Order: sequence, then structure tokens, then C-alpha cells
Amino acid sequence: MITGQGITKTFRQRGAVLGGREVRALRGVDFAVGKGGAVSFIGESGCGKTTLGRIVAGLESHDSGEIAIDGVPMSSLRPRARRPYFRRIQLIHQDPYSALNPTRTIHQALAAPLALRARQTGRPGSWIDERAGELLGLVGLDPGYVLPRYPHQLSGGMRQRVVIARALTVDPEMLVADEAVSMIDVSLRLGILALLRDLRERLGVSVLFITHDVATARYLGDDGELYVIYRGRVVERGPVEAVVSGPVHPYTQSLLSAIPVLHGLEEPGAQRVVPTEPLDEGGPDAGCLFARRCPFATGRCTAEVPVLGAAGGFPQEHACFHPERRSVVAAPAGRA
Amino acid sequence: MPETPPATPDGRAPGVRISGLSVVYRTPAGELPAVSGVDLELPPGTITGVVGESGSGKSTLALSLLNAVQPPGRISAGSVEIDGLGDVVALRGEELRRARGRHVGYVFQAAQNSLNPLKTVGKQLLDLGRSHGVRDLRALVREARELLGRMGLDGARVLDSCQHELSGGMRQRVGIMFALVLNAHLVVLDEPTTALDMITQATILRIVREVHAERGLTTLVITHDLGVVAEVADRLAVMYGGRVVEQGPTRDVLADPRHPYTRGLLRAVPRLTGDIGEARALPGRPPTLGTIPADGCVFRERCPLRMDACETGRPPAVAYGARSVSCHAAAENRAGPEDGGPGTAAGDRDGEDGAEARGGEEVAAGAREEQA
Ligand SMILES: Nc1ncnc2c1ncn2[C@@H]1O[C@H](COP(=O)(O)OP(=O)(O)OP(=O)(O)O)[C@@H](O)[C@H]1O
Ligand SMILES: Nc1ncnc2c1ncn2[C@@H]1O[C@H](COP(=O)(O)OP(=O)(O)O)[C@@H](O)[C@H]1O
Ligand code: SF4
Ligand code: SF4
Ligand SMILES: [Mg+2]
Ligand SMILES: [Mg+2]
Repeated sequence: MITGQGITKTFRQRGAVLGGREVRALRGVDFAVGKGGAVSFIGESGCGKTTLGRIVAGLESHDSGEIAIDGVPMSSLRPRARRPYFRRIQLIHQDPYSALNPTRTIHQALAAPLALRARQTGRPGSWIDERAGELLGLVGLDPGYVLPRYPHQLSGGMRQRVVIARALTVDPEMLVADEAVSMIDVSLRLGILALLRDLRERLGVSVLFITHDVATARYLGDDGELYVIYRGRVVERGPVEAVVSGPVHPYTQSLLSAIPVLHGLEEPGAQRVVPTEPLDEGGPDAGCLFARRCPFATGRCTAEVPVLGAAGGFPQEHACFHPERRSVVAAPAGRA
Repeated sequence: MPETPPATPDGRAPGVRISGLSVVYRTPAGELPAVSGVDLELPPGTITGVVGESGSGKSTLALSLLNAVQPPGRISAGSVEIDGLGDVVALRGEELRRARGRHVGYVFQAAQNSLNPLKTVGKQLLDLGRSHGVRDLRALVREARELLGRMGLDGARVLDSCQHELSGGMRQRVGIMFALVLNAHLVVLDEPTTALDMITQATILRIVREVHAERGLTTLVITHDLGVVAEVADRLAVMYGGRVVEQGPTRDVLADPRHPYTRGLLRAVPRLTGDIGEARALPGRPPTLGTIPADGCVFRERCPLRMDACETGRPPAVAYGARSVSCHAAAENRAGPEDGGPGTAAGDRDGEDGAEARGGEEVAAGAREEQA
């Protein structure tokens, strides 16, 4: 179980051009991912998704708030003592091409972390190759084919599977997948998503899934949760299907409305929401952060800060003063 | 949304006819075809989308429209007739250089990163103007500012900015400005929204549609994303292994895909609604230059309908009304309803579903076939 409470992070850019601009990447994010759970974060680029993923994986510090792993607050530990905890959380990022060293075979890529693991756990050297084969089998690859090869000899989908297998060498409890399928060919993308779902079900690995393609979040399993993040704040969260089929926050509605409609196969939603302005990370910080772009903003929205909560009896939580279900998502054509 | 092509009252939008086009790259294993015998017409004033996976030859095809394939690649056969220019495959030297930019505007793949990082957009604009012998550079700057303004940007500010001061969506709009500023009426956009988030993508696609209609263009959009073509394109061509396997009006192809690859691709797209159990990855993996079969159907390794005829010879393109499909199985079905509506297609799909396995284990098995 991994939880975060009130996580904040501000980047201070010293660049001469921007004159020491501050970016508040995260403004108090709470989350919880249970064993074998799946939590997806969606939002426009720059909204803080990658920053959160890196903090959760222990690769970035945060300014305030608490990360707890299995109930142990990380702030109570010295950096050295935190390491074994964060080793159980592995980050998989977008680009399967740069994640693997091009001069090493897949066998070498897997054997190095496995050798370390063998020493730590007092296993014999013979275990290394055995385990490498096992892990490749687990991610749906044929060890005989893949092990002797170099990364450039594999397709993008195969490489991303190798990256996942490598992450599994340390028996992680959680995978943080940051846009992990966006560079994978469409015909292979579902395969990687199904693999992540499978790892949850079979090994109890939990998944923190970061994406700007909302539809992919549905494929991690029907018990998944969706968090919608805007300028460092969670604005809506709940079961994936509830949020996707009945979003109540205008920002979520904007994201879902922007997804291309397969005209001919689908009919666009009747109430699509288009933000009135483009994203401006430096916008005013008072009230609802989305107010400047929100077609439904009222005076209250710029005066008060809406807090994430369950008001209105929806199945999900939201941070909006005027929540309303709108039909924004495309529906299959001719089968209303 | 794809609508009827806009009328081009002044007739400036050129038509394009690509015939028998082949492009090969020299590799240690000899010259291998990245594009092979492609026939494709871009009617004046339309937006055509070319969709295909990585390595299917989309960018190579697009570069051929400018006769800009670089060594070790070369156009080995075929022609690209552009109204007002003739066959660009035959153009050379100065003629060719002038045609690029003036007649054909091109927004390169990863345009987000293709600007010179050290020069302001304005300086790069002046460079472009000078290299094309533009006399009135002030007018050029004015035109650029107007175009940027038209796309929702502060033109003056953008011209004063360097690449790193612009977001991905802004850079993409700058790329479109560069493609249009010399007044080209044939525009090629290679992956215009890849790596942009959904809202920015929707904005760019709206701009592409609007600018296309307002300026009377013929537009070619290259993408790996079916959603993108569905949003902008009147016509759609599906590429696989260097060949166009199916083409036709976008709505028809999406509502009733006839080629097994088009069907598989559509079913593999993660969707927002509907039963997620119906979606699945295609078994196997897309071919690369070295693994494209030299003979027979390029898709057969992954095709559920593969038969003897598919092993040798190339499936001919067969016309079904406005559609053209290169598949032996589609040809056999020809006796069926000429314009079989969604009903027919759904029936076919159910049939395949029944024969296929489901679930996590099978997914892993499917993935294993990737190596086959
Ligand atoms: N300079 C080159 N030398 C050798 N092969 C090349 C070269 N450029 C492209 N190819 C090969 O030609 C084929 C088609 O490449 P192309 O760039 O046209 O694909 P694409 O469909 O645009 O792919 P993507 O979606 O990845 O952009 C690929 O197999 C590619 O590896
Ligand atoms: N190392 C960094 N230095 C300065 N600013 C950063 C850094 N990393 C991220 N940011 C800024 O923090 C914000 C959130 O970024 P990020 O977490 O990458 O968002 P996302 O993954 O949602 O696109 C952005 O404004 C980004 O520019
Ligand atoms: S609180 Fe107001 S401004 Fe914010 S999303 Fe809701 S309606 Fe829009
Ligand atoms: S020609 Fe044969 S192998 Fe190719 S797509 Fe058609 S049925 Fe499949
Ligand atoms: Mg990111
Ligand atoms: Mg390309």
C-alpha cells in the first residue's frame, strides 16, 4: 500500500529569459494505491503527472506532504533507510528505445540486476538465467529468441516488454508507468496494457499509470481508479468507468471532449466542452485554477477554492462548485 | 469533422496523382523497398489522411511528394503528378528547390523539435524568405504574423521567441505557418499532433481544418493515429509494409473496413465506450524493411484470413465504389452486397471474434507470436 498526502512541489527556474519563474508543479496531492491496485493519472501536459510519478518512485524530492509505504512514513527514515522501500517501486517511462543500452544484449540487461538480487537473497548463480527466462515468459516473450538479441533487433512493443521484465527483476510492488504505451504501435498497445493488468492480477503488482490518453486507462482492469489532475491539483477522482461515462468536472469534460471521434463508427457526445482559453501555467492562483478557461465559471469560482469532495451524490469525488454530468464522450454510431 | 471538400473557387488547390510509386533504401542486404507500387490520388481541395504504423512507409511516401527522399534512399519507379508542376519525380536542382515551399509546404515529423534552437522564429522566417528570393520581406513577416494570429497566437511575440520558449502546440503551429507562408497550396503534415496532449491536439486539428478550407488547400496528413484522420480527413489511405492496402472516403472505411489489417487496427484502438473485452492487439508485429515479404501479401503473417493465394503475387487493388482494397479475401467477398453497410461489417467481425481466444493468457500467447 502506497499513500501520498498533501504532496507539493515547486520548481524554481533560474533561466535569465524567464526571470526566476516559479512553477507549482504539485499543490497538495493525496492518493492511495492498494496492493495490486491500479490508479491512473490523466491531464494535459505540464499538469504535474511526471513530477508525481518521479516523486513516488523516489527519483525526485517533494517540498511538503508525506509518502508512506506500507504505513511507514518516508520522512521518518534517513535517506539510506528509504532506499529499500523505493527499490520496490519501479518507473517505466515513455521511450522504450532510450531505456535500454544499445550495446548490451537483453541477456546482459537482465543479468546485471538479477546478479545483484541473487547476492542480496543468497541465491546461486544458476538462478540468474533461470529467472531471466521466467520473467521474459511472464511478459509474453520467448527467452530463446530475445535473450541473445540487442535492443535494435526488437520491435517497440517487444522492447517495452523487456523494460517491464527488467523492472520486475527486483520483485517490485509497484510499477509507475509514465506514458508507457504512447510510443508503442497501435496494433501492439493493447498487448502492453493487458500485460500490466495481468501483472496486477497474477503477481499483485500495483500500477500507477500516467497518460494523456484516457481510453488506455480503461484497459488496466475494471477496478481501476482515475485521477484527473490540473495544474498540480486533483480535480476529479473515482472509479474509471464512473468518471469516463459520467464526468462532472468541466476540466475532465474538456479532456474527454477532445478525444478524436471515429466518425462513421461513433457519434460525438452531445454536450462536448471546449475550454475558452489555452492552458496558461502562470495563471492566477486564486479560486478554482480552471476558472479562467471554464465555460461555466461564476463569481464564486474566482473567489473561493473548491475542495475535492463527494458533494452532489456522484459516484466520484470532484472539486467543482457547479458539478453537472454532461454527455461529452463519443458513443457507438447507430446503436443509441 | 470530415465534411464535403470545400469548393476552391479560384482553383488554386492542386490535384495530385501518385502512380506506381516505389522508393527503396540501400542497406547492407541490398536495396529494399520502403514504399512499393503505391497508387494514390489527392483530389483538389480535399484532406487525405495516410495512416499506418511505424515503418510502414508514411514519411517516405510524403517526402516523395517533394522528390525529397534522401540517400541512401531513392525513388525507383513511378510518378507524382502535381497540377501546375508536372511530374515532380522528373524535377531537378533549382526547379525542385523552388517548388518546395512555393508549391508544396511541408511540416516535418517532430516539427516540435525541428526549429533552429539558437535563432528566433522571425530570423528563421527571413532566412526562408531570402532562400526563396522573396523581395518584400516585410510583407512576408506581415503574412506570418497574420497566420500565427489566425492560429490563436500572438504573432509578434512568437516571431521574437526561440524554440525553447514555445510549448509543443505552439511549435506545431509555427511549423504550419512556415509551410503556408510562401503561399503553397499543397500542404503535407507529417504527424502533426504526435506527442501533444489531447486538448492541444484537438486545437491543432481544428486549425488544420479551418486553414485548409479558408486558403483553398489540398492537404495530406500523415499519422499513426486513426483518431486523427477520423477528425480531419475526407479520404483515408491505410498503409502496411510500404503498400496502400485500403483507401476510400474516411467514413466508409471506418464504418465498414474491408481489409483485414484495417479491421484489426480499428479493433486494437483503445476506446472510451463499449465493451473493452472486444478490443485486442493484433498478433505478430509490424514488418520492418528487412522483413517485408518480397512476394505475396505483405500482411499475411498476421492475417486471420490467409489462404494459398496470399503466398505469391500481389493482391490486386479492387474497387468497391469509391473504395479500393488490396486483398484476395475482399475480392472473393465481392459477390456480396456492393456497399455492405455497418451490418455486414459487424457480422464479419462477430465471426472472427468467435474464432479467437480471449483473456490474459491468450494475450501473452499473442505477444509471443511477435517473434514468429
Ligand atoms: N535513411 C534510411 N535508410 C534506411 N532505411 C530507412 C531510411 N529511412 C527510412 N528507412 C526505412 O524505411 C521504412 C519506412 O520508413 P518511414 O520513415 O517512411 O516510416 P513511417 O511510416 O513514417 O514510420 P514512423 O511512423 O515511425 O514515422 C522503415 O522500415 C525505415 O526503417
Ligand atoms: N526539473 C524541472 N525544472 C523546472 N521545472 C520543471 C521540472 N520538471 C517539471 N517542471 C515543470 O513542472 C510542471 C509539471 O511538469 P510535469 O510533471 O512534467 O507534467 P506532466 O508530466 O503532467 O506533463 C511543468 O510546468 C514543468 O515545466
Ligand atoms: S469551480 Fe467553477 S470555474 Fe471551477 S470548474 Fe467548477 S464551474 Fe468551472
Ligand atoms: S491478401 Fe490474404 S493475407 Fe493478405 S490481407 Fe487478404 S486474406 Fe489476408
Ligand atoms: Mg509527463
Ligand atoms: Mg514517419
